Amino acid sequence: MSENNHQEPLLKVEHLSMYFGKRDAVKKAVNDVSFDIYKGEIFGLVGESGCGKTTTGRTIIRLYDATSGSVYFHGTRIVAGTRSYVEEIKQQRAKIKELSSNGGAEAEIQACKDRIAELRQEIKKAKYDHKHVNDQFRKDEAERVTREYQEAISKPGAEKHALHRKYLHDLRLARHSQLVTKIQMIYQDPIASLDPRMTVREIIAEGLKIQGEKDQKVIDEKVLKMLETVGLVSEHATRYPHEFSGGQRQRIGIARSIVMNPEMIIADEPISALDVSIRAQVINLLNELRASMGLTILFIAHDLSVVKYFSDRIGVMYYGNLVEMTDSDELFRCPLHPYTKSLLSAIPLPDPESERNRIRIRYNPLVDHEYTTEEPELREVIPGHFVRCTLKEFEKYREEAQK
Amino acid sequence: MAEQKKLEVKDLRISFHTTNGKVQAVRDISFDLYKGETLAIVGESGSGKSVTSRAIMGILAGNAIKEGGKILYDGKDLMKVSEDEFHRIRGDKIAMVFQDPLSSLNPIMRVGQQLTEAMLLKNKASRKESKESLNKMFRALDTRMKEAGVEGSTEDLTKFKKFSLKHSALQSEYTESLDSAREALALAENLILRIDNKSLRNIREDMNAFVLAANKSLSRFVVNEKAEQLRELAVKVKADMGKKTAEELAGAREALQQSLDILQAAVNAETPNTFTLGYYLTFVEDKIPDLPVKELNVLTHQKIDTEYMNEFMNKAEKAIQYSIDQTNEARSKAIALLKSKLPVFEAEAPNKSEVDAAVREMKVAVQNCLDPLEVVKDSLTHTFPTSIDYAVDLFFTGSSKNAKEQKRFDRAQKKYDAIVAKGKTPDWEVIPASYVNLEAAHQDMVDTINEQLHHFEEQIEATKTADLPARSLQIVDYLKEQAENSSYKITKGAARERAIKLLEGVGIDEPRRRYRQYPFEFSGGMRQRIVIAIALTANPDILICDEPTTALDVTIQAQILELINELKRQRDLSVIFITHDLGVVANMADRIAVMYAGKIVEYGTAEDVFYSPAHPYTWALLSSVPDLDTKERLESIPGTPPNMIYPPKGDAFAERNKNALEIDFEEQPPMFKITDTHYAATWLLHPNAPKIEMPKVITERINRMKQGRSSSNE
Repeated sequence: MSENNHQEPLLKVEHLSMYFGKRDAVKKAVNDVSFDIYKGEIFGLVGESGCGKTTTGRTIIRLYDATSGSVYFHGTRIVAGTRSYVEEIKQQRAKIKELSSNGGAEAEIQACKDRIAELRQEIKKAKYDHKHVNDQFRKDEAERVTREYQEAISKPGAEKHALHRKYLHDLRLARHSQLVTKIQMIYQDPIASLDPRMTVREIIAEGLKIQGEKDQKVIDEKVLKMLETVGLVSEHATRYPHEFSGGQRQRIGIARSIVMNPEMIIADEPISALDVSIRAQVINLLNELRASMGLTILFIAHDLSVVKYFSDRIGVMYYGNLVEMTDSDELFRCPLHPYTKSLLSAIPLPDPESERNRIRIRYNPLVDHEYTTEEPELREVIPGHFVRCTLKEFEKYREEAQK
Repeated sequence: MAEQKKLEVKDLRISFHTTNGKVQAVRDISFDLYKGETLAIVGESGSGKSVTSRAIMGILAGNAIKEGGKILYDGKDLMKVSEDEFHRIRGDKIAMVFQDPLSSLNPIMRVGQQLTEAMLLKNKASRKESKESLNKMFRALDTRMKEAGVEGSTEDLTKFKKFSLKHSALQSEYTESLDSAREALALAENLILRIDNKSLRNIREDMNAFVLAANKSLSRFVVNEKAEQLRELAVKVKADMGKKTAEELAGAREALQQSLDILQAAVNAETPNTFTLGYYLTFVEDKIPDLPVKELNVLTHQKIDTEYMNEFMNKAEKAIQYSIDQTNEARSKAIALLKSKLPVFEAEAPNKSEVDAAVREMKVAVQNCLDPLEVVKDSLTHTFPTSIDYAVDLFFTGSSKNAKEQKRFDRAQKKYDAIVAKGKTPDWEVIPASYVNLEAAHQDMVDTINEQLHHFEEQIEATKTADLPARSLQIVDYLKEQAENSSYKITKGAARERAIKLLEGVGIDEPRRRYRQYPFEFSGGMRQRIVIAIALTANPDILICDEPTTALDVTIQAQILELINELKRQRDLSVIFITHDLGVVANMADRIAVMYAGKIVEYGTAEDVFYSPAHPYTWALLSSVPDLDTKERLESIPGTPPNMIYPPKGDAFAERNKNALEIDFEEQPPMFKITDTHYAATWLLHPNAPKIEMPKVITERINRMKQGRSSSNE
């Protein structure tokens, strides 16, 4: 997407890692993943179950505390992990020890010490950023609200009193607002993600209440509008989740997330648990919302044909690593990484004859790669097409891509 | 039809009692399943596809009402067999794989135990059963031969019994040692690899297993003249068992390498014909002559043919011909009787006592038409008594049932109205009355008889051109198989080996280690493989897969589908594959049935359904799935499936169908025949229907697929 190159990304993920478990049994669910998502685009994240795509989504909205790396939203650092700095400090200390025992140069030791001081600063900064994510945002919001009302309030008029009350209300909301609520999530299983003991109205209004909205009238108005937007009717507001079909439940989940007026949605396999005939309804709804509300969507799924249809760009993940990332058409036209190839060859198609002759490509990282001499990195093979590879593979892929 | 029908479902109707009324889950479904084919049932949730499969397995929920229809399998109507009888079929003959692999495995039992449990339990039962059916066939042959005037039948059959016993003993001995040889071969290969790679942890266990397996494989037909050599090699390996480094194990490695060749030759050796050999050992000479297996086979075959089998076959043919004549005579009699009694049932208001008397006579007449020498059972005739009883009972108790239902409904309605009259809204609803359709029940009685009549006529016609030698061969094969089964005993150790082989067969690495693990230690795809392995332990005829890949992702899904396909080919299984995703079935289904609201709306081969779909619902299903070239807006199916408490009067899909015709709302479309293999229930196929083209998305896709194929062929 050439026009995107000039644009500032809405969400910027840098070297994000998320490890689970303690020292001996560390499970690297997400390992050094970087990508950008531009405003208004749909970014698809695919891979088999257990490859870390859901963890990536959850780390972005701070459901987990990231191990290391950062996520920038609107230029503000919303996720900041510190493990990588801590590790480097350890390395530098070991280096100092080695140098001093060998009687190394004073200058080198000093350089190491400086580096450690620098890293300490980084950690401090990360911790500060992590704690004070909302400060600037709240300030900006409050300013915005004040600007909006300033002129109206300064004018004398009959409604001045009411207007002032409204201003104070909005100001309070702005001061309690959180940046992360601008990113909302839609979950995979519509049955498990809706509280069975709450009515639809309560489910959708819960976020608003937490945000500080107290006016029941406003809440009701917003809830009903949302129901209409997602294609349900106002009567549904008083019902419980079990009274709905799967597709309708997923619509409630969508309404719950867009009532917060988000700029971005992380859709975590929103259609995997649905019947084929209902999938199309949900996809169409998301497409409409994207057009009408200008949403940006991170779409996590394992069904490649849907991802292809729905997304502008696609990232393929394998065991915590992003192995390939490019435009969706480009990915299907010319997959470069062997894992992507195997994934594409497994897509079932509604065509019996070609299906019977289909040969699935098998992927075995031990056979397909030679990583003993060099660690692979995400490299841009041709403009806009990133593949995780070593330098040797890089040349091979480039040749393949230019064919 | 040349293919063998395995399962026949006829006019199946199933409902469920719920607090809101009777949900009609399955309404008049009919399909056949042939040997070695895959039938896919496609439909969205609530269309009744799972209910159908559960009815076949006999595991319907407690509130299910079997309203009618038949599921014919091997001489039985699965809708009416007792639970005891079902124990012998379920899992043994018909096995099932469920959607969620985790919930269908026992979490606190090791995988191996779960695999062998059923094997050991079933083995005992099947031995008994085989013995019974063997004896039954012998008795039938004996009487028929005597009646046909064949001399010396009893002696011949005693002879047959004697050597078939010998045969089954030989057979089990042979398979056991062959299995051991295979196992020893695999172990030896593995051990050599491990010694070479210096991964020697717990190598002692595997070496021990090799020694045991090698010693077991020493038999006349498997490791023949080299038995002594192999035994010495095994002793050598055993001597080295305690050693821990690769250098120390060099001697053992050498021994393993040598035994590898011997075992390879043994596994590939000629299979002895234990059947003819059994005869040879019993009646000609009680020692096996020292000949190569191939020549031995020829020799024993000649002996049995000249001395016994040719004559026996001739006699059997005579008996079969006699039996056919007898049965046909009985059939003609039965036809005459059924025809004469038909007016009793067809009368405007049938008389109960007359009908009962007629039914009694008819049952006896139809029972006489069973050919005792049949191998492929005639299900319809077998189940006639229960079917006619059921239909008659339904008709005569129907009116009293209806009156009762009416009373209940009136009472509830009155109560409801009283509450409403007080100005309150009750928090319950009146369960709508569900009546027995007396007209349909009446028709059902007549239909049952007519169907039987028609069936008899067909059979008389068919037996005129019966292939006698083929049928007598069939009987001999049947006896042979039952004899084998009746003495096939599985020990715990053998069950373990078989389980490990099954695990290997479904593509699980290191089956020996995996055997001792718990289900939670496996990933989703691996778990599903284990569930499939468990389903296959009893060597079923039919495998029902209920959405086996819905919980899995694309790559694992592809693996599981490949596995099912391969197993089907190896074991000649018939598979019923249930799914909501049409894309999944394209590569495995031979035929596809599309279900909607409890009915089959389209039925045809995979090519028919994918390349020329005819029903609007199939169109909708196909166009709601994006493929890799879809760009335009997806055609979603508007609305939701109908509430099956109040099933729609006309075509169930009409309400969600943009192009629904007026008649779609009024009358149910019948199944229209498009080609010999392709049927669809839609009014669009009626000659007077307006021309409605299928959606552009699908026509374009089909064209694209055709183009893609022609270009790839060039």
